[in-house]
Amino acid sequence: MSENGKQAPDGRQLNISQLIAETIGIEMERDPGIVFLGEDIGYSGGTFGASRDLFRRFGEWRVRDTPISEMGFAGMAVGLAMSGWRPLVEIMFVDFIGVCLEPVYNAIAKNRYMSGGHVAMPVTIRAAGGCIGVAAQHSQTLWGMLAHLPGLKVVAPSNPLDYRGLLAASIESEDPVIVIEHKDAYLRKTTEFPFGTEVPRGRYTVELGKANVVRRGGDLTLATLSTMVEKSLAAADVLHAEGVGVEVIDLRTVVPLDDATVTDSVARTGRLLVVDEDYLSFGLSGELVSRVVENLGPSAVKGVSRLANPDLPIPAALSLEREVIPNEARILSAARAIVGSG
Amino acid sequence: MSKVPTLLDRYRLMVTMRAFEEACAQGIPTGELRGELHLADGQEAVAAGMVGALRSDDWMVSTHRGHQHAIAKGVPLEEMMAEVYERVTGLSRGKGGHVHLFDMERRFSVTGIVGSSLPVALGHAYACRLDDSDSIAVGITGDGGTNTGQFHETMNMAAIWKLPLVILVENNHYAISVPAEEVIAGRGIAERAEAYGAWGRRVDGTDVEEVAAAFAEAVRHARGGSGPALLEAVCFRFRGHYEGDIDHYRKSVVKRRMREEGDPLAIVRHRLLERGEVDEAVIAGVEGEARDRIRDILQKVREAPGPDAAEAFRDVFAEVSA
Repeated sequence: MSENGKQAPDGRQLNISQLIAETIGIEMERDPGIVFLGEDIGYSGGTFGASRDLFRRFGEWRVRDTPISEMGFAGMAVGLAMSGWRPLVEIMFVDFIGVCLEPVYNAIAKNRYMSGGHVAMPVTIRAAGGCIGVAAQHSQTLWGMLAHLPGLKVVAPSNPLDYRGLLAASIESEDPVIVIEHKDAYLRKTTEFPFGTEVPRGRYTVELGKANVVRRGGDLTLATLSTMVEKSLAAADVLHAEGVGVEVIDLRTVVPLDDATVTDSVARTGRLLVVDEDYLSFGLSGELVSRVVENLGPSAVKGVSRLANPDLPIPAALSLEREVIPNEARILSAARAIVGSG
Repeated sequence: MSKVPTLLDRYRLMVTMRAFEEACAQGIPTGELRGELHLADGQEAVAAGMVGALRSDDWMVSTHRGHQHAIAKGVPLEEMMAEVYERVTGLSRGKGGHVHLFDMERRFSVTGIVGSSLPVALGHAYACRLDDSDSIAVGITGDGGTNTGQFHETMNMAAIWKLPLVILVENNHYAISVPAEEVIAGRGIAERAEAYGAWGRRVDGTDVEEVAAAFAEAVRHARGGSGPALLEAVCFRFRGHYEGDIDHYRKSVVKRRMREEGDPLAIVRHRLLERGEVDEAVIAGVEGEARDRIRDILQKVREAPGPDAAEAFRDVFAEVSA
């Protein structure tokens, strides 16, 4: 964590959406070149409250309530960036990024490359992802799909300290970054999280591409991100009581993917379980397993396993959603299976 | 260009544009370039009509058929042709190619996706307001682009925020192979401006003087703070949509007639002589100079090396973690 005017935590009871809004405010104060675009970010202060008060503070030209025109305002970000501004774009639900994927993956992601390095695209896209019982079109995480496209950095924070630090680093980055915030986090108090609860009031950044080993253990490496970190920690507690040491790694970013930290861990534990709320196939879990096996060689690995959404659209009924998404019980089963198998 | 160009100035530009496109076409039979090359022969009056009204601090976002617009914006010919020919001396060192031209010094860029140029131009126009400058942005698209969501979203946002944006539509009658009149609802493209309370006009896009007058008015409107202007220039695309296009969807009699009656270069040449402003020798001199200049550029481009292999691995990110 790099510090810059850091102040001590002050015991405030912020929730994550307030923390995000405050972070954006700090960044917009610091850099007058940041312009914030999105639906319902102005008058309403954000569908999830993550832009509250910014419209009043920075005015309509820097905090712009857009029409429901994702293609239009995502493309606007391209022109703004080429004109020397730093656009921050909110896509209300990451599921909606399909509406404007064209400017995102053809221009925001590729303009630096296609211009031979002459064009900078310091664009940050924030979007809400993850399951909270809102069915197939408003529950996806999609970080695997976005990570597949060259030129985009992809971030998914798990805890209060990272919600501020990774967002600040994303906004500051010269590269395009998509930050996928979990809907389950927005209304939770910072103090309710299992770690990262001490959030400095001042500005700091958390470097993109550095995984965080949040629990040490010698028998199994469990790599995950976003809200699954908390569920994995709970499972690790249970396994600890059973005499199984689980090393839990919060990946923090999908691109860059810190496979080095995971590889170092698996070199000691010999076993890797990837827990991912995203779809199973062609995504983060397969990519990470492949890299670790490539890095260590298959003979150095006693077992690998993946737990993710088994390629199903997310059903509306909460009872069915629970069947589809990893939870503590299924993490326990998967961990026991891989540890027991050798 | 600070002063208003004369008709001879515009003719010089137009013959340069035609010669540039012909030099690009030379790369096809030799195998230097593939068929994915969109040339704009026949549309010179639209591009050349923009010169004079635009300033160097105005922005332009163009299309897959964008060489002529780039020439109008002052993009250096040699660097651009080198990019078309994918040489290391090109604007992007050969990594953009002909449909991804970027020249930030001249405030010019291209996107190869139909319709997507317009929201980018909208972003430039928004930045002009944020910067509190009197620069404007020009977003160019074709008739086909006016059926995209981006066109309508851009018109709407530019109008509600009164942004300094000119949308220039080159209506060359065909969205690749589909006749524009079969796929555009309503009275026409220019009339779509009315729905957004915007300035709208249609001109003969084969007549550079008509285009120049209307474009200057559109720019005055946008620069004056009255919101977006939509200018439709009706023109002909002499070649196929791309260089591999067999172009069987247009009758040969129609193609012959458009070259005979709708060639913007012939129209200007005739007018210059008719007005007695210059004689045949001056015109021949201008044509010869442009041809020689482009021939020399093509030769230099052909002598330039392609990018080295390492170039493929650069410029994905500005910041690469160790």
